[in-house]
Order: sequence, then C-alpha cells, then structure tokens
Amino acid sequence: MTRPSVLVCDDEPNLRELIRVSLGPGWTVHEAGDGEEALALARSLAPDLVVLDLMMPRLNGLEVLSTLKADPALARTRVLVVTAQPASEVEAREHGADGVIVKPFAPEDLAELAVRLVG
Amino acid sequence: MGLAAAAVAAALVTLFALLLVAILSYRDASNTARHAQQAIASANQLETLALDLETGLRGFIITRKQSSLKPWQDAQARYPKQVAQFLRLASDNPKQAELAQEVRLAIAQYQAAFSLPVLLFMNRNPAPARQVINKAAGPHRLDPVRRGFKKFVDGEQKLANERNATARHTARVAIVLGAVSLGLAVLLIVLLILYLARRVARPVRLAAEAAGRLADGDLTSRVDERGVAEVGALQRAFNSMAASLERGRRELEEQNRKLRESEKVKSELVSSVSHELRTPLASILGFSDLMLQRDLDPADRRRYLELVRGEADRLAALLNDLLDLQRIEETGVQLTREELDLSKLLESQVVLYSAQSDRHALDLDTDDGCIVLADRDRLAQVVGNLLSNAIKYSPDGGVVHIEARCTGSRVRVNVRDDGMGIPLVQQRQIFTKFFRGDAGRRLGIGGTGLGLALARDIVEAHGGRIGFESLEGGGSTFWFDLPLATAGAARGVGLSDSRRSGGGS
Repeated sequence: MTRPSVLVCDDEPNLRELIRVSLGPGWTVHEAGDGEEALALARSLAPDLVVLDLMMPRLNGLEVLSTLKADPALARTRVLVVTAQPASEVEAREHGADGVIVKPFAPEDLAELAVRLVG
Repeated sequence: MGLAAAAVAAALVTLFALLLVAILSYRDASNTARHAQQAIASANQLETLALDLETGLRGFIITRKQSSLKPWQDAQARYPKQVAQFLRLASDNPKQAELAQEVRLAIAQYQAAFSLPVLLFMNRNPAPARQVINKAAGPHRLDPVRRGFKKFVDGEQKLANERNATARHTARVAIVLGAVSLGLAVLLIVLLILYLARRVARPVRLAAEAAGRLADGDLTSRVDERGVAEVGALQRAFNSMAASLERGRRELEEQNRKLRESEKVKSELVSSVSHELRTPLASILGFSDLMLQRDLDPADRRRYLELVRGEADRLAALLNDLLDLQRIEETGVQLTREELDLSKLLESQVVLYSAQSDRHALDLDTDDGCIVLADRDRLAQVVGNLLSNAIKYSPDGGVVHIEARCTGSRVRVNVRDDGMGIPLVQQRQIFTKFFRGDAGRRLGIGGTGLGLALARDIVEAHGGRIGFESLEGGGSTFWFDLPLATAGAARGVGLSDSRRSGGGS
C-alpha cells in the first residue's frame, strides 16, 4: 500500500515543520508557503489531504479552500484547516473544510485527525 | 428708517399746523361776523337816536310843552357816547370809517341846519315854527342821515361777507391741505410699516426660521447679515452662534469618529495580537509535545529546542513591542544617544534579516562616514522594522534595496521593495498605531500594526523625518532622514532627550 500524500500549506516554515513531524513518517509530505503555491501544488499533485492555514500571504486560506472544493478533479482530496482564530472554525466548515484544528494544537490530535480524514 | 420716521413726523406737524390755520380762520371769520353785527347794531342804535331827535323835536313843536322835549334831550345826551362807540366800531376799515364820518357829519348837519335853529326859532315864534315843521316833513330832513346809515350798513355787511368768504376760503384750503398731508402721513406710515416689515420683520422672521432649522439639527443654517442696525447685529450674533454650534458638533463628531476608530483598531489589535501569540505558541507547544511524547534523535531534539527558543524570542519581542508602545504613549521616547556610524548599523541589520529570509535578496549601498548622534537600539529597531516590512510585503525572490546618502547636514536612508505597494486610500493611515493594511490582514502577514508607529516616534525623537512613496502593485520606498552628528552637535543637541509621542495618526 502506498503512503497517503499530504500538502502542508502554511506561511510559517516552523509550523510546516511541526505539522510534518506531527503527521509522522507514514505520509508523503509536500509543502507550500502561500495560497497561490498551495493551489498550484494541490492541482498538480492531487494529494489525499491538504493541511491549510487560513492566514497566508497572497491568497487567503478561505479562498484556496473554496477553489479546491469547487474543483471536480480534487473531489477526493480532504482539506484540514488549521487556524489561529477559533472563531473562524464555522466559517471554514461553511467553505467546505473536512476538518478544523485550532492553533495551538497537540501533535497527536493533528495526526489522528489526518489519518481519520483519509482513512 | 430714521428718515421715514422724520418724514412722518414732518407730515403730522404740517397737518396740525394746517388744522390750526383752519381753526384760526374760522375764529377770525366768526370774530368778523360778530364785529360786523356790533357795528351794524351800533349804527341802528345811532339811527334810532337820530330818529328820536327828530321825533322829540316834532312832539315839542306840536304840543309846545317843555316836557315833550324830553326824548330829544335824552337823545341829545346819549348822542356823544353813541357816536363815539359807532366811530370806534367803524374804525377798523378806512372806507367804513369814512362812511361813519359821513353819517356823523349828516347828523351834525341835521342838528346844526335844522334841529337847533328850529328850537331857537320855536322859543321865539312857536306858530311859524310849527308851520315850518309841518311843511317840511322831518323824515325828509333825515334822508341824508338815513342814506348814510344805509351805505354804512351795506358796506359793513359787504365787508363781513368778504371777510367771511376769505376765512371760508382759507379754511377750505387749510382743510384740503390738511387732508392731503393726512393722506401723505398715512401713506408715509404705510410705507414705514412696509419698510419695517421688509427691513425688520422679514429678517427677524427669517432669523426665527433659521433658528427653527438650527433647532431641528441643521447646523449649517445661516442668515443674510446685511440687515440694518440692530437687525444686522442680531443676524451676526445668530450666525456666530450657529457657527460655534456647528464647530462644536463637528468637534464632537470628530472625537466620536476617533473614538470609534480607536475602538476598531483596538479590537483589531486584540485579534491581531491573539493571532500573533497563537502562531509562536503553536510551535512552542507543538515541538515541546513532540519532544515529550516521541523518541527523537539528539539532532532533531536540538533543532526543535532551537525552534522553541526562537518562537519564545518572537513572543518576547511581541511583548516588548506592546510594552514599548505603552511606555511611549505614557512618557515619550527615551533615547540614550551616542555617536554611531549609520553604515555599520545598516550592515548589521541587513546581515540579520538576510539570515531570516532565504527567499529575498537584500542589496545595501551606503555612503561612508554617515555619523549620527543616536540611540543604537532604537535606530536598529527602526531599520529592522523597515527591512522586515519590505521582506514581508514583497514576493519571494524580490530584491530589497537599502541605501544611505549623506548630503549636507543630513543623512537619508531609503528602503525600496518591489512588493504589492500600498493602496492610496490606506496611505494616510500607514503610521497610525495598530493600523494594518487590508493586504496584511487578508493575506495573514504577521505584524501588530505597531512597527511603523513606533518607528515614526523614534525617528522624530531623533530630530528626523520619516515617510514613504508607494504605488499599489508598484512597490514601496520607505525613507527616514536624520541630522548628521556634526550638525547635531553644532545645534547643541544633548546626549539624551525625550519627547512625547505625537498621537495616533
């Protein structure tokens, strides 16, 4: 069985690293540093999971989320939104997020949620 | 207004004068009539007296009794007084006086030529005397006297009529003139009322309407100030009151707007600070958990510890910014100045920020020997803020140009990026505390909105200026300039000074 692929989108390199390490060795990890890059990579890679920070340069996370969800080619891609604003959880779900986790988060929680979404 | 009142007063005075003339004319006319009646009565009495003379004489001649002479004697006795009265009453008119004299002469002639000779003759020869009397009828002898009286009375009557007519005419003229001036006075009063209505009542009514609009909240309500005297004073007072009310309300609205704005930036600050705290906290907590829960090799462990440490530093820096801001708000910027080489300070900051971003190139170009009298840490904070903004707001691979130019007594530092630039509508607020551009918030670019506000306070505390040129989509150039140390020393700037920060915009 091939490892599931994940695209980690966050403008903070430290957080990308934290997310990557939290997910553990069972994933093929790709990274994007801003919204436009996230969208381009998501389309070219069609990953199983996108971990998406809501506040990113160039293209807002919510816009990325809407665009991803509107793309039929990415129908099976799950999106896990990571946000520093607890208030934006509802908004993220309305835009089609499959899962939401609030910063700061426990690495194990993130890992479990990610596995559950693609499993 | 005074002129119209004077005209009305003049018309009224004229009116009363004419009425007086009319009244006096009437009185004159009635005086004349009375005088004429008196003169005519006196003439009649005198004529009666003359007839009494004749009648007495005749009676005496016929009866030949001495007692019959009594009426004649009485008339004779009353005659001087009566004739004197008659002449006096006739004296006011020369022609009448002449006629009166004629009457008196006629009577005197009658007396001298007839009455007295007949009496003398009678005493000597009664019979022939009687014959004479019988023959020459007495009334005929009195004819000249009668004619004289008739002429006098006619003359007096005519005179009275003439005077009366004159008086009536004068009175009529006076009444006509009076009526005319009354009409004139009424006209003037009407004109005065119209004038007052136009120049006083109307402006006052307009002022009242304006006051009503003012009361209804239209503080731009004003009145024309060209009114006369007190009306003008009222209008000016009204306008000045309205202006002061309007000013007051504008100030209140401005304060209100500022309060709301500051509430908005404060709540944005809370949200921004919350985000800024959560991001490093997420790293700190996350990596700590990883180290506690997983078996990691020493290299990874060390790396995560360094990340934790770095994020903790970031938190500390944020805290420092907030405390810094609070301190500057309360006491102004405190500077510890020293002579320092600006090129070196720029170099060290460029090195620092180059290390933080591997995606941007920082290009430094400075003149040598730009010595300024400045607070090293504070100036580093300003430069750091401009560099970090340039990096944050420009695309990966972008070049940030930093240059320092010494010209004359000042040095100018430019930090130029090829980033997204600042929309025109937001340029005014760029130095406002807590303000963050839409782009920064929308794109999640980190920041507290304090950096530039602090930078401005610091630069201005050094006697410098800070500013920027920016075009949306065309990059930004932020710059500041400072006095060079020699120029600063020459102006006697002390080694430390402080300054209240200049408010929030």
